[in-house]
Amino acid sequence: MTRRVGTIGWALRWALFAVVVLVFNLPIIMTVVTALKPTAVINASPPQWLFVPTLDHFVTVLTDRAVDFPLYLFNSTVIALGGTLLALVLSIPAAYAIARYGIGKRTVLPLVANLRAIPLVIFAIPFYLMYQVMGLLDTRTGLIIIACIINLPVALLFAVGMIQDLPIEIEEAARVDGAGTLTVLWRIVVPLAQPMILALAILSFIYAWNEFLFGLILTTRDAVPVTVGATFFTTSWGVRWGPIAAAATLSVLPPMVLGLLCYRYLGRALTAGAIKG
Amino acid sequence: MARQDTAGSVALDRHGTGRRFRVTRRRRDALMLAAPLVVFLGLWLGFPFLTNLVYSVSEVNFETLRAPSFIGLDNYARAIQDSAFWAAMGFSLRFAVAATLAQVLLGLVIALALRPLLVRHKALMALILLPLMISPALIGVMYRLILNEFVGVVPQYLAMVGLYPNLLGPDWVFATVVAIEVLQWTPFAILLLFTALQNIPTELYDAARVDGAGPWQCFWRITLPLLVPGLAITAFVRFIDSFRVFDHIFVLTGGGPGSLTTSVSIYIYRSFFQQQQLGSAVATSMVLLVLSLAALYASMRLMLRKGEA
Repeated sequence: MTRRVGTIGWALRWALFAVVVLVFNLPIIMTVVTALKPTAVINASPPQWLFVPTLDHFVTVLTDRAVDFPLYLFNSTVIALGGTLLALVLSIPAAYAIARYGIGKRTVLPLVANLRAIPLVIFAIPFYLMYQVMGLLDTRTGLIIIACIINLPVALLFAVGMIQDLPIEIEEAARVDGAGTLTVLWRIVVPLAQPMILALAILSFIYAWNEFLFGLILTTRDAVPVTVGATFFTTSWGVRWGPIAAAATLSVLPPMVLGLLCYRYLGRALTAGAIKG
Repeated sequence: MARQDTAGSVALDRHGTGRRFRVTRRRRDALMLAAPLVVFLGLWLGFPFLTNLVYSVSEVNFETLRAPSFIGLDNYARAIQDSAFWAAMGFSLRFAVAATLAQVLLGLVIALALRPLLVRHKALMALILLPLMISPALIGVMYRLILNEFVGVVPQYLAMVGLYPNLLGPDWVFATVVAIEVLQWTPFAILLLFTALQNIPTELYDAARVDGAGPWQCFWRITLPLLVPGLAITAFVRFIDSFRVFDHIFVLTGGGPGSLTTSVSIYIYRSFFQQQQLGSAVATSMVLLVLSLAALYASMRLMLRKGEA
C-alpha cells in the first residue's frame, strides 16, 4: 500500500517538474521554435508544431545590412569579459584585506553591499553626462566600467565569504617562510579558491551580458550590446518574427550555455551572493 | 621607529618588538590591496553622486552643462509635487509587493513538492534555473512574440477556447507584467528555499516522528519556523530587484498603455531622455536615492532585531 502511494507520489512529482520547467521556459522554447520555423509556418493559425526546420532566419540576422548583429555579439562578449575581469581584479584583493585584516569591514563592505539594493537608474543620468564630457559615450570601455560596477557588490560579498572559508594555516605557514602578502594571495589563496572564482566569474559574465538599461542609454551605434540590439530588430523590422526570434536566440545562447554547463557553480554563487548580502 | 626599517626577518618575531612591526607592515599591504577598489568606486560613484547633487539644485540644460546656475531647492519641490512621480512609485511598490509574494509562495510550494526529486537527481535543477540566465530585456522580446495577437501561442490557444483578452490592454497589463516577472524569477526563490530546506537537520524530523508527530505537524512546527530566515532573505532580495524593474516592461509596453506600467526606473528614464528635464530628473533621482536608503536602513534594522530575538 505504502509502496503504491510512493510510486504515485513520484509520478506526481515528475509531472509537476515537467509542468514547472515547461511554463518557466515557455519564452525560450517558443523563441527557439519560432526561429527555426519557415515564415509561412510562423504565421499559421492554429500554431503548427510539425515543420521542416530552417536556418534562414539566422542567416538573415547575421547578414542583414541595416542591423550589424555580429558587431553586437562582439560588443557584448568584450563588455562581459572585460567587466568580469575588472570586477575580479578589484574585488578579490579587497576581499582578502577585509577577510584577513578586517580593513574596511565596517565601511567598504556595507557600502558596496548596499549598492546592490539601490535602483541603478539613479546613476543613469550622471553617467550619461560624465561619459559625454569624457568621450566615453558609445564605447565598449564605458560599458565595461558599468558592467564592473554592477558586478562589484556580489563579487565582493562572495569573495569575502570564499576567503573566510579557506584554512588560514596554509597562509600562516607561507608567511613564516617569508612570503609577502601579494605572494600569499596569488600563490596560495587564488589557486585554493579556483572553483569558487570560476563560479563568481560565470555569474558576473551572465549579469554583465544581460545588462540592458545602461546599454540603452549610453550606446547608439558602435558599442551596442546584444540585449539592446535585439530590441532594435523588434522596432525596425516590425512583424518579421522569424529574424526577431533568431536574434533573441543568438543573444541568449552564450549565457545560457555557460550557465547550463556550470549550473552547480552557478547555484552556489547565486545562493551565497544572496545569503551573505 | 628606526628599528622597523631594518627589521623584517622571522627571527625578530620571537621578541616582542618584531611582532608589532610585522603587523603594521601587513596592515599597509592590506591597505594597498583594498586601495584599487576604493579608488575605483570613489571615482565612478563619487563623481556621479556629486553631479547629481550639483545639478539637482541648478537650472541646467544640455547647453549649460558646464555652467549651471544655482536655483536652490526648486527642482526638489517640483519633483516631490509631481503626481506622475508618485504614480510611478505606486506602480513600482504594487508591482514589487505582488511579484515578491507570488515568487516566495510559488517558490516555497515548488521547493517543498520537488525536493525529493531534486535531491535524487541534482542535474534537474539546471532546467529550473534556466530562466535566470536570460536577460530580462530579451524576456520582454520573447513575450512580445508569445503574446502577439497574430502569431503568439497564448492568444492563439485562448482564442480556440473562445477567450480574447487583450493581455497588454489596460485591464490585463498589470497582471501580465507581474506574471512575467514571477515566471522568470521564481526559480531563484526555488533555489534559495531548496537550499534552506536542505540545511534543516534531519534529526529534528526523526525526533518529532518518534514523539508521534504527523507530516502536517512536522511542517508547521519544524519546517516553517526554521525556514523563516530563508523566506525573509528570498523576499528581501526579490523585492529589491522587482522594485527597480525596467527591462522587460520597457521592451514590452514602454511604460504604457498611457502610463499604466510606468515604474520609477522608467519614469526617470523618460523624464530625462524623452523630455530632457535635466534638473528635475536629477532631483527625482536624488529623492529616489534617499527613499531607497531609508527603506534599506529600516529593513536592515528590522532584520537584525528579528535575528537577535
